[in-house]
Amino acid sequence: MEFIDAFSVSLQSVWNDSGFSSFTVGNGIMILVGLILLYMAFVKEFEPLLLGPIAFGCILANFPNTDFFGEEMNVMKAINFGITYEIFPPLIFLGIGAMTDFGPLLARPWTLLLGAAAQIGVFVALAGAMIVGFDVKEAAAIGIIGGADGPTSIYLSIKLAPHLLGAIAVAAYTYMSLVPMIQPPIMKLLTSQKEREVVMTELRTVTKFERVVFPIVATIFISLLLPPITALLGMLMLGNLFRESGVTDRLSDTAQNSLCNIVTIFLATGTGMTMNAKDFLVPETLLIICLGLIAFMGGTAGGVLLGKVMCRATGWKINPLIGSAGVSAVPMAARVSQLVGMKAKPGNYLLMHAMGPNVAGVIGTAVAAGTMLAMLK
Amino acid sequence: MGHPVTTNPFIIMMINMTVVFIVLVALSFLIQLIHKIDPTKEPEEKESAPQVEEDEMQRLIKNVKDSKVVTDRDIPGEDESIPEEVIAAIVAAIARCGITGEVRAVRMVERDTTAWKSNARSNIGSSK
Repeated sequence: MEFIDAFSVSLQSVWNDSGFSSFTVGNGIMILVGLILLYMAFVKEFEPLLLGPIAFGCILANFPNTDFFGEEMNVMKAINFGITYEIFPPLIFLGIGAMTDFGPLLARPWTLLLGAAAQIGVFVALAGAMIVGFDVKEAAAIGIIGGADGPTSIYLSIKLAPHLLGAIAVAAYTYMSLVPMIQPPIMKLLTSQKEREVVMTELRTVTKFERVVFPIVATIFISLLLPPITALLGMLMLGNLFRESGVTDRLSDTAQNSLCNIVTIFLATGTGMTMNAKDFLVPETLLIICLGLIAFMGGTAGGVLLGKVMCRATGWKINPLIGSAGVSAVPMAARVSQLVGMKAKPGNYLLMHAMGPNVAGVIGTAVAAGTMLAMLK
Repeated sequence: MGHPVTTNPFIIMMINMTVVFIVLVALSFLIQLIHKIDPTKEPEEKESAPQVEEDEMQRLIKNVKDSKVVTDRDIPGEDESIPEEVIAAIVAAIARCGITGEVRAVRMVERDTTAWKSNARSNIGSSK
């Protein structure tokens, strides 16, 4: 009898400690969301490197009684610290800097304007979010989705609206992965066949001096002007300096490969782990996802429209399609410009021309984030 | 700052947009400044250089047109006149290589040559 009692108590205890006893419908829905995201990542190959760990993190976050964020330190808590204390986004920027060629931007500095124009979506979504009832800090964090820059979106939402991090990060990365589907219809709608067929002249040669001096000068200038984004911009430029200096190949290699991959795993998994049912299954999430789409479409349209103005102003020397690359999804947005341009005129290679606004978009989104931090924090 | 400076969405939008444009325009000026002071850039590609090159090319083409086109020997079934655009292309290629001087004549090379001769000719050409 005693044995049966002990066995029953033990079974009861195992049941009480198990996830099943506290499992909610919300957890079930979120695990389903995670599985759908996993499907999109691994079967449909929408940004699998990011969406994969985000989706798995989402599934992990919805197992009850895991005590991931309890008193004791564990790996999940450590990963969460990397996000909460803004460690991962600047490290990702280090890798992006080491991977990115600033040459097209240096050869055509005016493409920075296209990067600025593409930030219009950020501010349209900010205004929209405030109109539908979000407070100004939440609205700023939502608006930055339009910059199509995951690390910056995470960075800003941690600082201004940490409770919205999961929804904002998922919206940002989902729309980034959907760049090839969202942008082309807008680009075609806003441009004529003649504009899409414009062939651009070759870029001038950029010297090593320019490549090395630019990241240093840009860091000094932007950091003095907008200190809140020094961590992001500084790391971006440091990574680029590793790449261009010619004497730090090992550091450049580590920044753009091993380090970037490791941090991507942590950042994406940690972001997914913010998607627990309690915080995520709220009406605001749906609004954020809709506003994010508006921001993204607004950004694309802003870049293309300024591209059209430049096209006319320069006597048809600029293909307006490169304007859409001003949203900073590097290098997907530039690839989309290339693909749409090639469809309009086979043999018209716009990729390197579009890389200028694309890099400008990264800087532009960071500047927009810095401006909002300076104004609102 | 402890509190947001304003909560009017349109003012925030306009201020932010203006700041972003100003910063990026300033950055583009900085890039141009770096290019200007770059001590390692190649001797300035003079603005007038293409015009000079163009003039020189036109002069060379005119000279060749005025001169006689000669051939090694008559090639049966071939028209010995060389089209003007071919001459222009040859002269342009020579000028582009930076060779100064005048092209006085363009001579047809016989085509019904042996493999030995062609080989020797290409060897001489590549050794120069």
